[in-house]
Amino acid sequence: MSRKSSLLRLVALLSFATLLNSQGLPVTAERLLKADQEPGNWLMYSGRYSSWRFSNLNQINTSNVKNLHLKWIFQGHSPEKFETTPLVVDGIMYLTRPENDVFAVDAATGRVMWTYSYKNPERTYNCCGRVNRGLAILGNRLYMNTLDMHLIAIDANTGRELWKTEIYDYLADGGYAATAAPLVVGNKVIVGMAGGEHPGTGFLDAYDAVTGKNLWRFHTIPQPGEPNFGTWAGDSWKTGGAATWNNGSYDPETNTLFWGTSNPWPDYNADSRRGDNLYSCSVLALDPDTGKLKWYYQFTPQDTHDWDATQIPILVDGTVRGQPRKLLAWAARNGFYYLLDRTNGQFILAKSFVRQTWASGFDDKGRPQVNPDQEPTDEGSDQIFPGVDGGANWMSHSYSPLTQLLYVFARDERRLFTKNAVRHVNDGEPPLNNGAPPKGAPLTALNAPQTTGIFGAGGNLPASPAPARNPKQARFAPEESWGKVVAIDPFTGLIKWEHKVLSPPWGGVMSTAGNLVFGGTTEGIVFALDAKTGERLWYFPANDRVYASPISFLANGKQYVSLAVGDVLLTFGLD
Amino acid sequence: MVASKSKFAAFAGFIMCLASRGFGQDSNPLDTPEGRAQGAALFQTNCAYCHGAHGEGGRGPDLTTGVYRHGGSNRDLFTNIRNGIPVTEMPASRMSDEDVWKTVAYVRSLGSSGMAEKATGDSAAGRSIYEGKGHCAGCHSIAGEGGSVGPDLAGIGRRRGLAYLMESLVSPAAEVPAAYRAVQLVTKSGPTIQGIRLNEDDVSIQIRDSNGKLRSFFKDDLKDIQRDKPSLMPAYGTTLTKKELEDVVAYLSSLRESL
Repeated sequence: MSRKSSLLRLVALLSFATLLNSQGLPVTAERLLKADQEPGNWLMYSGRYSSWRFSNLNQINTSNVKNLHLKWIFQGHSPEKFETTPLVVDGIMYLTRPENDVFAVDAATGRVMWTYSYKNPERTYNCCGRVNRGLAILGNRLYMNTLDMHLIAIDANTGRELWKTEIYDYLADGGYAATAAPLVVGNKVIVGMAGGEHPGTGFLDAYDAVTGKNLWRFHTIPQPGEPNFGTWAGDSWKTGGAATWNNGSYDPETNTLFWGTSNPWPDYNADSRRGDNLYSCSVLALDPDTGKLKWYYQFTPQDTHDWDATQIPILVDGTVRGQPRKLLAWAARNGFYYLLDRTNGQFILAKSFVRQTWASGFDDKGRPQVNPDQEPTDEGSDQIFPGVDGGANWMSHSYSPLTQLLYVFARDERRLFTKNAVRHVNDGEPPLNNGAPPKGAPLTALNAPQTTGIFGAGGNLPASPAPARNPKQARFAPEESWGKVVAIDPFTGLIKWEHKVLSPPWGGVMSTAGNLVFGGTTEGIVFALDAKTGERLWYFPANDRVYASPISFLANGKQYVSLAVGDVLLTFGLD
Repeated sequence: MVASKSKFAAFAGFIMCLASRGFGQDSNPLDTPEGRAQGAALFQTNCAYCHGAHGEGGRGPDLTTGVYRHGGSNRDLFTNIRNGIPVTEMPASRMSDEDVWKTVAYVRSLGSSGMAEKATGDSAAGRSIYEGKGHCAGCHSIAGEGGSVGPDLAGIGRRRGLAYLMESLVSPAAEVPAAYRAVQLVTKSGPTIQGIRLNEDDVSIQIRDSNGKLRSFFKDDLKDIQRDKPSLMPAYGTTLTKKELEDVVAYLSSLRESL
């Protein structure tokens, strides 16, 4: 191809992109496939199907980011953690606010245009806050998961509810919830569920985007007769967790859906569930048309540290050992960065990106070689890295095709891991209160799903600092635990740079074509780093916790960056 | 199995009893040594993540002071643990009501750990040392009287046992409440300033200096932040005799008025 024709193609592509940018609704399935060609919009949770959380916009860049300032604030008025990733379509931003309220706002000013409010029951069974992480869009419909396990379709023009489908009985098996953003693939809405801290069983669902009808359900724990059913001792498969509580990715070339699964239940005690506990703590590669499993890879067999593998899968292509490969890059909660072949799940490499003590290496198939004395103990062990919240967690990582680096906002810390006795549902304990209620048991005020050891059977913060007694005791203090943005070469696992921050984070990062990496700290410092060096080029003291990942978009032709901090959404821009 | 069933029957009876009385009663039938012990384990499981392994606070408030912002009766504590506290991060618990009552028993014990002990020293002599030779009031206050560099000591005798109080005098750095941890700030312009760390982020740090003054520094202006001397309090093991130390402990232990 001549240089001239390449140029013509580029011009045509850019015009096409501009056309699409002004297109507004409806957002077709075709547009979602080419979301990267609409840099002014943010059309899905991770920006594009490869989940790079990368913006092609470069109006804000390393040379002018010092002039970035606050343009508008959306007031959330909610005490709950604000974890949303907004969508932006042609100057209109759609965002969720806890618990399950939806707002359409002008992306240039933050003025609200319509509001949709959903009322959850007084008591819901989310593990970690009555939160929501965002929406999906197809056509003129927005999709939202609710705490009480419904999928709701909302008219993006009016905010009116179009239909509501029950995903599952939210009261069953100790309780289920749905907090993640759905993912639209083709004409389907893919929906994950939370509940790995309760004695339920995980699944991933697909719904018809028009009617809300369930099209398939993949059980993350094999059912009797299915392959790998025998990886759970006794009846533990009936209560093994393995939830699907975050968002996934999609590869149109191979028509494969990638989704991570949570820890097995009970979290910190494997006595009742000997075996590898498949497919907990795994990545699943599924056929989105049928929900059939193509392959899996398990990061942590028989996990006892709550090291969910519910990170967002990042799809990259690159050369490994001289061969071009289609790859899956995964910085896992267990502290290791993994590179897999996404066409077959083949393990390529794993390298730690935070302090870790539990594994000494991996065999050729990618099975970890586990160190001794790394299990939770009755009295609690604080000699295990990473901590219960992991080296990575649910917050988004980012990949920049310009720097070819993967950015991970990592938690570098240890915690106290305690193994508590868990009275199992099948131990013959009374069905009331002690142990989980049996499936289908009615719930009353005195018989709420509960239980000793269900969630927090370990992983607590260590005891208060006592250096004179035990100088090695884990402490939740700046000199003991911290956060860091880590830039990893995804093809080698080598760390290119690190930017350390005071505390382990709960926010994700976004990289941009302006060669910047945006994010926010636990103390509320919103920052922009140089994507090549990690140097902090700009910050804004927002002074409240960040539990979200940034996005970027255009409004009236100007680039903005938005991030939820505390109970507000902050939007920054130039001039 | 039989034992289990009878246990169940007993528990069902307990629940019926609670139900018939309603939850309005303020007595806690599970405030027993066994109940508190089980409550301690439940606390580790369900509460310590935010309130600290010993209830000393962290992301959630300190529970060892015997003062509870949202109500300190058994019923208040039960309701707040069971249902959560609106407009705060305190979530509803998943525990059974029985386990909530055990947790209430343990939490209350945190705020009254010194109540059962009788000090051997002379409290009146201890007070003289506190106000005189020890210069304790220069840094600590009791009911509003005294300094602000160290924690307020009103009601300290309820909340802390004798061994803890003695350790605090002899080895003050052994355990320093999160809100009173000291830092030494080495400035680029020269002086080193020490104080209590009040807040901090990646770009700045806020302290109450040793004169009690509120100050803030940009980290770009600091050469170093030293955290290896977490207590500003002098160790009294050599400046006071054993008898004097025991007297001060007796005085502190006598401070049992609720805040």
